[in-house]
Amino acid sequence: MLRIFFGEKEDVMHGPSWFRFNYDEEWLADPFVEEMMTDIDKSHYKGGQLIESDVLGPIPPEKLSGGLQTLICIYKRPDLVFNATSCGENCAKWLAEIGRREDITINLRYYMPFDDCNDIEIEILNDNIKVTNAKDYMHEALKYV
Amino acid sequence: MKNKHHVVVESKRLKYEFDIKRNITVIQGDSASGKTTLLDLLGTHSRYGKESGISVQSDVPCVVFGGDASLWKIILEAYQDSIVFIDEDYPFIYSKDFAELVQASSNYFVLITRQPLYNLPYSVQEIYGIRTTGKYHYPEQVYHEFYRIYDDSNETLDKEVLVLVEDSKSGYQFFSKAFKQGECVSVEGNSQFVGKIENAEENKKVVVIADGAAFGAYVAKVTTIAKSRKDVMLYFPESFEWLILKSGVIGIKDLDDILAEPEKYIESREFLSWERYFTDLLMTATADDSIKKYDKSQLKPYYIEGKNKDAIIAVLPEELRKIMG
Repeated sequence: MLRIFFGEKEDVMHGPSWFRFNYDEEWLADPFVEEMMTDIDKSHYKGGQLIESDVLGPIPPEKLSGGLQTLICIYKRPDLVFNATSCGENCAKWLAEIGRREDITINLRYYMPFDDCNDIEIEILNDNIKVTNAKDYMHEALKYV
Repeated sequence: MKNKHHVVVESKRLKYEFDIKRNITVIQGDSASGKTTLLDLLGTHSRYGKESGISVQSDVPCVVFGGDASLWKIILEAYQDSIVFIDEDYPFIYSKDFAELVQASSNYFVLITRQPLYNLPYSVQEIYGIRTTGKYHYPEQVYHEFYRIYDDSNETLDKEVLVLVEDSKSGYQFFSKAFKQGECVSVEGNSQFVGKIENAEENKKVVVIADGAAFGAYVAKVTTIAKSRKDVMLYFPESFEWLILKSGVIGIKDLDDILAEPEKYIESREFLSWERYFTDLLMTATADDSIKKYDKSQLKPYYIEGKNKDAIIAVLPEELRKIMG
C-alpha cells in the first residue's frame, strides 16, 4: 500500500542524490523500471551503464530525471522513506502502481493528483486516514500542503 | 532590476528560449521535462564560459546557485543585477529569510520547485512548465519553451452566484457594492479559499477573485478544488488597484505604457510584487485629491458610484460584467 506523509518531515531521503550514489546496476534491467523509464524519461536501458534517451542521446543513469530516479529508489528500497516532491504529476500513476506491489511510505510537499490512476488505496499518515478514490484523496491531501 | 530579459540557452542538442520579467519566476511541472538539464547547462556555462560548448544569450548574467547551502545568504548577496536560478533541493528558498533577501535584491530569481512558497508573493502568471516542441530525432536539436501552467477560467454564470474575494478591504468594498445578484464574501486571506469553495452550496456557481500578482503559492490548490466542482470561475487580475488603473478613472502620465509593460517601470529592489507597485502608483497619483484619494482600508465613493464604477466593471471579463452593475 501507498502511505503518504504530507509536509515537512525529517529523516526522509532525497531521491536524486541517493540514487546517484547508491543505485544497483541490476535495478535498471528490471522490466518494471524499464516501463517507467520509457514512459517518464522517454529512455531505454541498453545494458551496463548505458541508457539511450530520445532527447539527450546516450546517457549514464546519473542523468535520468530526478523524478524517475526517486521512483526507482521508492520501488527498490521500500524500507526507506523518500521525498517524492522530486516526482512530477506524471509519476502519480507509477507511485500508485508501486503501492499495489509493495508497502511504501513517501513524503510529499505539494499536491500530487491521483486522478487517472484507476483504483487507489492511500493512507494519509498525517491523520491516519485511508482513502480509496481520487476525490477523497484530494479533499484530505489539500489540508496538508 | 527592471525589464524583460530574453534568454536563449543552446548546445548542439538542446535549446531553451524564454523571457524572465519579474523578480520571482517559478518553474514546475512533469518529471523529465528538462528543468534540471536547463540548470546543468547554465551552471556549466557560468563555470567554463563559451569553452563549455554552451551558448547563453542574455542582456544580464544568468547564474545558478550552487555550493554550500549554509552560505546561501552570502553567496546570493554577492550577485547583482543577475537572473539567479535555484533548484528545489535547497530548503532555504521556503524561508522568511530568503523572502527578505529577495525583497531587497537587484536580482531576478527563477525557482525550480513544486512546493508552494508561502513566504513569497509571486504571480500566477509567472509559474511555468517546460515543454519540447517538434519530434525527438536525436541527434537533432530539441527545442524547449516555457508555458504558463495556471490561467483564469471562465464559467457561464447562469444561476445563483457566490463571489469569493480574497481582499477584505477596498476590493471587497467595491465588489460587494457592485455585485447585483447573490452573495459576495471576503474569505479574509488566501489560505481560506479552499474551505470556502468546498463548503459553497451545490446549487450556486462560485466566482473566485484574487490578486494574481501575489497568488502564486495558492493557485494550485484553488485550481484543483475549482476543477473538482466544475462550476467555479477563477479571475486573477494583477490586483484591485490594477483594475482601477486599467479603467482609466485616474489620469496618470504614460499609464497605458505602464500597464502594457509594467516590467519596464517596476524596480525589483523597491517592490517585492507588482501588486505593491500598482498600489503605490495609485496612492501617489491621488494623494493630493481628497475626492479620489485612494485608501486601501476605506474606498472613496468616487470609485464605487456612477460612471467610475461602470468603468472599473468594464475591465472585468464578460461573464463577470453580467452580474455586476
